[in-house]
Amino acid sequence: MTDSIAIIGSGIICALGTDKGQVRDSLLENRTGIGELHYLKSCHKELPVGEVKMSDAELKQALAVPATEEVSRTALLGAYALRQALADAHLSPQSLQGKRITLISGTTVGGTDATEQYSCANNTQAIARIVGIDCQQSTISTACSSALNAIILGTRMLQGDETDIVIAGGTEALSLFHLNGFNSLMILDHDVCRPFDATRQGLNLGEGAAYLVLQRTPEACMQESNIQAYITGWGNRCDAYHQTATSENGEGAFLAMTDALQMANLKANDIDYVNAHGTGTPDNDKSESTALRRIFGEEMPSVSSTKSFTGHTTSASGSIEAVICLIAMQNRFVPANYGWNNSTPECITPVALPTQKELHHVLCNSFGFGGNDSSLVISDREQPLCSIPTCECTFVGENEVTQEEELKELRTYISPMESRRMCKIMKAAFLTSMRALEKADITAPDAIIIATKYGMLENGQKILSTIHEQGEESISPTLFMQSTHNTLAGALAIHLGCHGYNITYSQGEESLQWALRDAQRLICEGKANSILVGLHNEMPPQLLYSKSIIVKKV
Amino acid sequence: MEDLILELKEKIIEVLNLEELTPEDIDPKAPLFGAGGLGLDSIDALELIVLLEKSYGIRLASAAEGKNIFTSVENIAQYVSQNRKK
Repeated sequence: MTDSIAIIGSGIICALGTDKGQVRDSLLENRTGIGELHYLKSCHKELPVGEVKMSDAELKQALAVPATEEVSRTALLGAYALRQALADAHLSPQSLQGKRITLISGTTVGGTDATEQYSCANNTQAIARIVGIDCQQSTISTACSSALNAIILGTRMLQGDETDIVIAGGTEALSLFHLNGFNSLMILDHDVCRPFDATRQGLNLGEGAAYLVLQRTPEACMQESNIQAYITGWGNRCDAYHQTATSENGEGAFLAMTDALQMANLKANDIDYVNAHGTGTPDNDKSESTALRRIFGEEMPSVSSTKSFTGHTTSASGSIEAVICLIAMQNRFVPANYGWNNSTPECITPVALPTQKELHHVLCNSFGFGGNDSSLVISDREQPLCSIPTCECTFVGENEVTQEEELKELRTYISPMESRRMCKIMKAAFLTSMRALEKADITAPDAIIIATKYGMLENGQKILSTIHEQGEESISPTLFMQSTHNTLAGALAIHLGCHGYNITYSQGEESLQWALRDAQRLICEGKANSILVGLHNEMPPQLLYSKSIIVKKV
Repeated sequence: MEDLILELKEKIIEVLNLEELTPEDIDPKAPLFGAGGLGLDSIDALELIVLLEKSYGIRLASAAEGKNIFTSVENIAQYVSQNRKK
């Protein structure tokens, strides 16, 4: 057995408020933070959103950032929440002395913003710089599950004694990019969203940031840290069905929740509350309900989605909702599924009003584009995690593509009907991946870990120039669906039918390092025997680079 | 109507990136979606909705509306000629 992982600090900023106290009050008083668009300069006043009630100027002032300095809103929100989390953890220079510290942040918009030079890693660095913390950094970008995956990575790094203190979470500001992108998919509600409701029409977007400070429990006790709760289980799986829709039986979600419960050594009826992903789309809520019923059967715990309070905060949602779970546990109540009124047999019946309840074990779900499904168990008591044995790995099938002409060879592996939707970087990624699997004599890997410096940059730039030149109305749904950094990982999983662990690292030049280390870590944890790892970079017009490797257990 | 059908075929091939097809390959009465037809899917449906708006000024209220319209190229042509604003 190894040390359990303690949460010793947390910070949050979202539509409900700029600190935990405000968020708590809004939840207890059942007040939504969703309203008419105000801060983002968009023509879409008909779309309700969950904005943070501070302008960029006000955020800069609060962070002592010069008003004229160019900083993205995503970085400002991240810095605001990070600073709060560190203060909450009472981490002084003395207590940090000689300790290995790692900041892990999840974002997508941070990597689509020109201010960040289209690099997620730059966004994380900006956050650290503003707060004034000097530490190892990593950035995960798996769309709406990013922040939860950041927390999961942090937990595993502590378990494996790779670091001593982790600050993990995510940040995302509203942007014309994704507001119009989601609009092109026709999944935004023109009213305040109603997750799990019979009349639900779609989601409302939100923004914000939240971070957890994590430490191994014995050290937290020695330091007399204020332990708020423990992370006792996690799961990350891939639905491997569709880039943006969920499978009918909620397979990825079911597997992720099953893994999390198993790891925490808990039975389904030990869970007191589920903070559902619950976006309010007809699709997600139905399929998540199916997955929940497969896990809990007739004994459904209290369930609510808090997205009708905060909006769907995309890459930050996992950590924002984890902090909401902490607030709920500390104040002994279940937040309402605000706005829910009409039951429907295809969905679970959520908690309609804030309800007093002792919460010992809470399950928090976060599902992203690319079928990336993550689940976290937060408990008020320790459940020691299994230790990670060391093990040996080997690397097989390594191959690269650096020229567009080479992409013709993809014909041997992929049909025209399937490849018609593939942009250059995706074709390159598929080509090197198929070759690697062939060389390693594997039809389907157990997991997929992708590294990318700039993500789907060509698609992203096309979207940005469309908005710039033609206005907000005409974004191609296909382009948007293939704009998140984890598009490649999702597409590969769908093609290969791979339901295993699926992660995308976007940490600049170190991306591949992080991916390879994670592959080895996953194998040692006993969660995979063979993993498809790839590095795929594009910077139109000059850069196209793809490399794939199979990492195998010896 | 013949001209509109040809125009639609060309636009569909372009917007859905059906690189291997020419307008002659598409039977205007054949089903577009699902097996047995062209094999288009829900993502293609969303692209066709954007196409209708950009090229003909027709704005559909929901993705579901598209289902009844996008049955065949001929059906789309009829709908467009009755509802176009451009």
